[in-house]
Amino acid sequence: MAGLTEYVVLSAILFGLGAIGFLTRRNALIMFMCIELMLNAVNLSLVAFSHFRADLSGQVMVLFIFAVAAAEVAVGLAILIALFRHVKDVDITKYNLLKW
Amino acid sequence: MDPYFLVFAIMALGAGIFMIATKDAFPSALGLLTVFIALAALYLHLHAPLVAIFQVSIYAGSILVLIVFVIMLLMTPGQRLRALQRNLSYRIMGGVLGVCLMALLFIGLKGAGEVFSQRELPHDFGTPSAIGELFFRRFLIHFEVVSVLLLVAMVGAIYLAKRRS
Repeated sequence: MAGLTEYVVLSAILFGLGAIGFLTRRNALIMFMCIELMLNAVNLSLVAFSHFRADLSGQVMVLFIFAVAAAEVAVGLAILIALFRHVKDVDITKYNLLKW
Repeated sequence: MDPYFLVFAIMALGAGIFMIATKDAFPSALGLLTVFIALAALYLHLHAPLVAIFQVSIYAGSILVLIVFVIMLLMTPGQRLRALQRNLSYRIMGGVLGVCLMALLFIGLKGAGEVFSQRELPHDFGTPSAIGELFFRRFLIHFEVVSVLLLVAMVGAIYLAKRRS
């Protein structure tokens, strides 16, 4: 049976992949998706700990993270759409109006 | 070693690597969808059926739909869907996604209780009634605060996305 270690290692690798993707990609939509990947990695870690400690609070926290992630995606994409109307591109290197 | 865990862990990892490495945004969304489905199957294995249901309906069913909608909305003329359909690696990713969805479908038909891990847990662990008990007793304030947060996010998103007339 897969122990806690295997689940936490999987969660860590997924989180690392999300972080690498977030830092290296230039497409704003792919960056959003990498944020969601990181959140899912944390969710997996929480559910795994909840399972191996027989404590349901982990799953409750995951449900809260679902709600927060949904709100964050909605607002973030709204910002992106509003930004796209001006810049006409999702490439983040084009978002340089605030550069000195 | 647990074969169930290995199958879905490898699918999740492969889809994650594909997701961050691929050039276009739409196949990346497919990879993310595969990660969501594979994680939902893992949640079922971890005695978390309610979390698995929410994972599929909120993450795969709402958040990803919203992301794909915005991808389509903001797709620049250089990336037409027709060109994406010819790429071999995208087709393989689509195949893996199909396999993952079919696997979850068969698990659902067989019954989620069949894929629970062998650990000794209370028989109502992870059921909606047990989580509901926690939500309405210990985490009541948190629950109400998250409702307010969702309301604020809804208002903010509508205002931000409105076209300035």
